[in-house]
Amino acid sequence: MLSEITLGQYFPGNSFVHRLDPRTKILATLIYIIAIFLADTPLAYGILIGFAALVIAVSQLPVGMVLKSLKPIWIIILITMIIHMFTAPGETVVFTWKIFKITEEGLILGTKMALRLILLLLFSSVLTFTTSPIVLTDGIEKLLRPFKAIGVPAHELAMMMTIALRFIPTLLEETDRIMKAQTARGADFSSGNLLERAKNMLPLLVPLFVSAFRRAEELAIAMESRCYRGGEGRTRMHELAYKSIDYTAFGAVIFLAVGLAVLRWGAGLCAL
Amino acid sequence: MISIKGLKHYYTDADGKEVKALDGIDLDIKKGEFVAIIGANGSGKSTLARHLNALLLPTEGTCTVGGLDTVEEANMWDIRQQVGMVFQNPDNQIVAAIVEEDVAFGPENIGVPSEEIRPRVEKALAAVGMTDYAKHAPHLLSGGQKQRVAIAGLMALEPDCIVLDEPTAMLDPQGRKEIVATVKSLNKDKGITIVYITHYMTEALAADRVVVMEKGHIRFMGTPKEVFSRVDELEKLGLEAPLAAKVASELRKSGIKLPKDIITDEELAQALCQ
Ligand SMILES: Nc1ncnc2c1ncn2[C@@H]1O[C@H](COP(=O)(O)OP(=O)(O)O)[C@@H](O)[C@H]1O
Ligand SMILES: [Mg+2]
Repeated sequence: MLSEITLGQYFPGNSFVHRLDPRTKILATLIYIIAIFLADTPLAYGILIGFAALVIAVSQLPVGMVLKSLKPIWIIILITMIIHMFTAPGETVVFTWKIFKITEEGLILGTKMALRLILLLLFSSVLTFTTSPIVLTDGIEKLLRPFKAIGVPAHELAMMMTIALRFIPTLLEETDRIMKAQTARGADFSSGNLLERAKNMLPLLVPLFVSAFRRAEELAIAMESRCYRGGEGRTRMHELAYKSIDYTAFGAVIFLAVGLAVLRWGAGLCAL
Repeated sequence: MISIKGLKHYYTDADGKEVKALDGIDLDIKKGEFVAIIGANGSGKSTLARHLNALLLPTEGTCTVGGLDTVEEANMWDIRQQVGMVFQNPDNQIVAAIVEEDVAFGPENIGVPSEEIRPRVEKALAAVGMTDYAKHAPHLLSGGQKQRVAIAGLMALEPDCIVLDEPTAMLDPQGRKEIVATVKSLNKDKGITIVYITHYMTEALAADRVVVMEKGHIRFMGTPKEVFSRVDELEKLGLEAPLAAKVASELRKSGIKLPKDIITDEELAQALCQ
């Protein structure tokens, strides 16, 4: 049961987006997010939606699957939308009920905020759908490396993520096993109120922690035996390297951001 | 290849008392040799093994590997590259979530240039017969396969010697067979020196030499035939000789004439049919 939880949501493939360097995808996602916050007209939002649709199409991911990534947080989107609708200041009232009133401005602002959240999520889920967690880790390590000078432990963070990816399935299997063993001895993990359930989990957590610490110690010794001594002087089997498709992708997303900036401020600049 | 002289190792236990885990060990291991170490629990086998790649340092005496003294800190990484170590729990020695990434871990650590790592990984996986699993997730492999991945991870460092500390203790019979076959082939085909710690006597039959330990001492050693025909002495040390050797010894005691060096089932069957 527990082991059925899949890690990340990588969907293997060989599309243009899949083949991009992970750093390109991370940076492009950040640039796209900036672009989202530059948009303020329907035309700008239309362009953003079009761009996201284009990227999803190029990535050859099943559209339904990408949309499903919104599911866990649709409630947050809805709440954001409602709060903005009711609280935005405005004159043109469209609807009133007792003390509540929705203004046209509120309606527009609410829709805008919801749209921003949806676009942000869709775009970043394309990143995780098209990049395996391992490659993503490599990308993050490489991107953070310049910040080592100011104390960002780039290699250590990446090593932690690598080990976490390796051991989460193992620990889930183990949790499953301990749960089954204790259920067989009469333990109950699925009834009672929250406090009772938390209390019932305790006999599960203790052996799990003990075993996790033992594993960590053994793994550390095994790593030392394999000449591990930190990130200094380490090489990689797959060295990341930007290819021409990466420059194409950067070009596209930077063009998008600049375009939206011009749409927003361009008129003002012309007037000057 | 490995030379141990007057090696002592003392631990301090939780009560601050001294535990003499190794109490004067002398042992020379030649290049290309296959040495099995047997002994009851707590006889000091793991402690001895961990001196061979400088995970532990001698309290007294010396341990040299390929002429390098393990005490010298400057030698540590050379020694660890030369002597690989496989541990008991197959899960807790695999670092990465993909087999080939894990095998690449060692070469990456010693700074092998990128383009030379992949050929090393492929060679190492081929040496343990795991080529088809290069892209698999380790947690979905069987115990025997995981141990073979762990061995491949060491082979990618191109070591001279591999030390295995009860590598089959947590495996099923199928997995045990895989490991013994893999280790034998590394020894015979690739000339890797093997130090194989086990409490399965039948696994030790594959060795050139068997070392018997008790309470931090080497009690006796010799070829499998020499060691396993000393059925009664082994029993006193809490070790069980292979079944065939035990049966032969009992038959000899009850007056049946059998050669002294019977240790395998085949030998016993042949001797009885004559
Ligand atoms: N870290 C430690 N601290 C204290 N005592 C230890 C430690 N490791 C091993 N020992 C003791 O040293 C002796 C030899 O242990 P070990 O080398 O693990 O034996 P074996 O591998 O043959 O079972 C045992 O008596 C054990 O209790
Ligand atoms: Mg041991």
